[in-house]
Amino acid sequence: MLKMSHLSKVYRTEVVETYALRDFNIDVKEGEFVAVTGPSGSGKTTFLTIAGLLETFSGGEYHLDGIEVSNLNDNARSRIRNEKIGFIFQAFNLIPDLNVYDNIEVPLRYRGMKAAERKQRIMDALERVGLSSRARHYPAELSGGQQQRVAIARALAGSPRLLLADEPTGNLDTQMARGVLELLEEIHRDGATIVMVTHDPELAARAQRNVHIIDGQVVDLAEEPRFHAHAAAPQSLA
Amino acid sequence: MQIRPILAALRRHKAGTVLIALQIALTLAIVCNALFIIHERLANMSEASGVDEANVFVIKNQWAGDRSTQQIDAQVRSDVLALRQLPGVRDAAPASGYPLKGGGWDNFVTMTPDQVKPTTDSSVYGSDEHLLDALGLRLIAGRNFRPDEVVVMGTQQVVIPPVVIVSKALADRLFPDGSALGKSFYAMSATPTTIIGIVDELHRPGVNQWNRPYAGQSLIWPLRPDDARGIYYIVRAKPGRLAAAMREAPKALYAQDRMRIIDPKDGLLSFARVRSRVYDRDRGMAILMGIVSMVLLAITAAGIVGLTSFWVGQRRKQIGVRRALGATRGDILNYFLTENLLIGLGGVFVGTVLAIGINLWMVARFEMARLSLAYVVAGVVALLLLGQGAVLAPALRASRVSPVEATRSA
Amino acid sequence: MLSYYLELALRSLRRNPALTALMVMAIGFGVAASMITWSVFRAVSGDPIPDKSARLFTPQIDGWGPQQNLKGEPADALNYTDAMVLMRAHEAKRQTLLYPVQLSVMPGGDRDLPLAANGYAVGGDFFAMFEVPFEYGTGWSAQDDHARAAVVVISDQLNQKLFGGANGVGRTINLGGHDYRVVGVTRHWNPKPRFFDLFSTQGFEDVSDFYMPFTRALDLEMRTDGSNSCRGKLTFTTWDDWLQSNCVWITPWVELDSAADVARYRHFLENYAADQQRAGRFDWAPNLRLRDVVQWLDHERVVPPESRISFMVALGFFVICLVNTIGLLLAKFLRRAGEIGVRRALGASRRQIYTQYLIEAATVGLAGGVLGLLLTAAGVPGVGLLFPPQIARLAQLDLSLVALTFAVAIFATVAAAFYPAWRAAKVQPAWQLKSN
Repeated sequence: MLKMSHLSKVYRTEVVETYALRDFNIDVKEGEFVAVTGPSGSGKTTFLTIAGLLETFSGGEYHLDGIEVSNLNDNARSRIRNEKIGFIFQAFNLIPDLNVYDNIEVPLRYRGMKAAERKQRIMDALERVGLSSRARHYPAELSGGQQQRVAIARALAGSPRLLLADEPTGNLDTQMARGVLELLEEIHRDGATIVMVTHDPELAARAQRNVHIIDGQVVDLAEEPRFHAHAAAPQSLA
Repeated sequence: MQIRPILAALRRHKAGTVLIALQIALTLAIVCNALFIIHERLANMSEASGVDEANVFVIKNQWAGDRSTQQIDAQVRSDVLALRQLPGVRDAAPASGYPLKGGGWDNFVTMTPDQVKPTTDSSVYGSDEHLLDALGLRLIAGRNFRPDEVVVMGTQQVVIPPVVIVSKALADRLFPDGSALGKSFYAMSATPTTIIGIVDELHRPGVNQWNRPYAGQSLIWPLRPDDARGIYYIVRAKPGRLAAAMREAPKALYAQDRMRIIDPKDGLLSFARVRSRVYDRDRGMAILMGIVSMVLLAITAAGIVGLTSFWVGQRRKQIGVRRALGATRGDILNYFLTENLLIGLGGVFVGTVLAIGINLWMVARFEMARLSLAYVVAGVVALLLLGQGAVLAPALRASRVSPVEATRSA
Repeated sequence: MLSYYLELALRSLRRNPALTALMVMAIGFGVAASMITWSVFRAVSGDPIPDKSARLFTPQIDGWGPQQNLKGEPADALNYTDAMVLMRAHEAKRQTLLYPVQLSVMPGGDRDLPLAANGYAVGGDFFAMFEVPFEYGTGWSAQDDHARAAVVVISDQLNQKLFGGANGVGRTINLGGHDYRVVGVTRHWNPKPRFFDLFSTQGFEDVSDFYMPFTRALDLEMRTDGSNSCRGKLTFTTWDDWLQSNCVWITPWVELDSAADVARYRHFLENYAADQQRAGRFDWAPNLRLRDVVQWLDHERVVPPESRISFMVALGFFVICLVNTIGLLLAKFLRRAGEIGVRRALGASRRQIYTQYLIEAATVGLAGGVLGLLLTAAGVPGVGLLFPPQIARLAQLDLSLVALTFAVAIFATVAAAFYPAWRAAKVQPAWQLKSN
């Protein structure tokens, strides 16, 4: 599903070259739930932005769902983000000017979907995260946990193959965090591939597999998966 | 493409939206009317005079001292003879006034001698058989005056000659069926005057509001205006010799008799000066409205650039999120262009109402013409394009916001 | 505290030089456009004789009747018959008839060519009524009027031309072939608009060269150099025919000190017109007007529409510039919402935030005022391109215009800043701490 080989990311300034990722290798299989951990500044976030095609990389290869993405132009990258990837951010990143319904609609709009289908998907996604009654609310009117559920609904609405989560519970209290995590696990059980970046070991422990990054490289902790994926074939999430 | 969510977002930025829309509305209202004023004024300024303007000049001659009508008549005859003999001069005529002088003599016209309400009004030029050639008028029907038809008109005397040459505009006004030649009318007199000739164009002396309904309606009577207060000499130079003729003419007149006044300031005017002088208000108004419109459009464009740049800056994060969610650069560009178009449409809607309102008020207050709808349409298109142009730079900047922005903390 | 706010303002303005420049330019252009057109408008729309304008009246009597008058309004001047009746009746404290005349000053001294001279035939009361200032001598007396005396009052300008500026009183000049004794030399006097002669002028003419007795001008059969408007069939060939015609060419003025005087004079006019109706000279009911100076200026539409329209367009322009400024200030202030949140968290009160931003706006207004003043100074001499010379000449950059430019710029900008500053002051102290 997600395969990076010898991937590197270099930030150049006039005087120094900084390797954010160096000879970076990772292979996430279809249907896996992978937690990426590592100390602050280790390159977790860089990995995630490259994985999500938010940024380009300097060297190596990256195959996403079988496609080599390094040579894709901006529009093609946008299309892949739109169709194959769902994002869940630490800061939720809901658009404050739009209400819940309109926020979830954003990626569907960019996909050029018919209105009836958009509506169906939005309602389904909202039901899934248990917020059907809040469709007309604005983000500022919701609690943090609710906002993150909306963000997850937005990520799910487009039926992505890959869900990328960046500290999804980082801004939430324990109670809310638990709810969000349970939701992610449920989504995973339904067959989604999830890559979650976190520095919280407890959270990481809930994933199938942990990948540890230090100084821009993967350190193999060779842990046994805690539980197995039970769906052999990928299926739609929403 | 995504109008509803844009409108939804704009509802959360009411102040900025309203300010841009208001600015567009006011600009449209003022620019439409300014352009219309420019159009009207330019139309005034380009009115045909019928005169061979490149070669004609005018001398305003005032008499000094006390003279009888007979003395003046003799002097006028010898003056025009002297002028006609100048090497640079093609022809010269004495006249009571001239087109575009900026006000002068006019009479009401009636079709019968005892009609009280006038049929129309005509400006009147008193001159001799040389006027047609001296002004360069085009005779399109009938004939010129014969020398023996020209009679003397003393100071403030009423003399109604039996024959008249009229402008085509007056002929058509009085006899719409085109049968004017040979017909008679009455110009504030008990005796009729008969049309013996028709000239194509002959502008009135005045250009102000009062003259508008009677535009181009003029008549020439064979009257040598021997008025004690003064006389105008209309001189037509030979082609290319205007400057020389204008130098020679006053000298020739002073050589005839020194007891006359040709004012150094405005006693000697080329017809180009005559035209520019009489339309100076129109020209000034057109220039002013032009400057105002241009600066206004520039300021409005700059205002749109400023506010949109602010919005782009304020929304960097959400632009990043949209990009992360799959928006292409084109989508982001379109978003801002569409947003501006929606605001612009709101603005021009209000602006159209305002523009028409302002015009109606000016129609009532300043007797201006009704705003032609073409101006509103042109203004609407111009402002919408201006808005799109102004928003382009900030929108392009927005489209270059990296999707990584989504992962940065606010 | 004020200096702190000023410092903050300057720092803030320096931070976005493009935005600041845009605002300053918008204010500058807006103010300059308004001030330039205002300088013209105030010049043409002013009261030319403020201390007496409510006591000077011009009577109008309809001698043409409803068929031929000006859409119900009587003519803007009087015919000879009616004018002479008013003069002889002498029902007002002071009164004058007047019409413009043009004469030549005959050669003399070292001049070998005649000079053109434009003036007015007026009554002796003219000078006191219109407060004409004298350099030398005075006007003439009622006896001179009666005696149809060959006297003249000349302008300082003509005095300069003829006598090199020396006291010309008592000297004799030849006007149009007749000798006149100079009894007075005026100081520069050219009221704008020329309210007393709006029948023959647009109100903005060069200074008059001389004033001579109305009675003397009639004796010499001097035709008006101004307008002459007639109705019906014209038959006159002689001077006397013309005097008896319905042509109007004489402007009358009367000075009436109280409302009672005005009422009495109106009554007199009504009686006269009614008498004329009874006598069969008018076959219509009395149709009279008695307008004071301001009403007369208004009736004659002396303010050129161009001046009015351009002033209003400039005001509209200024409003747009202000709307523009409101938008830009709003953007500028709200962009610093984070900073405001921190300031509020550190203990700044709403009022303090409000004040800070109003002072920032005032600074922009001041800069806009300076730019506006420069543009106005550059623009006022350029008015000649936009308005006819006789009107353009009236536009002047004086101290009051300078003060007004600054006042308007600062006041308008601060007014424009009320809403943006209010929005800025509404920012919550904690806002910035909450994540987006």
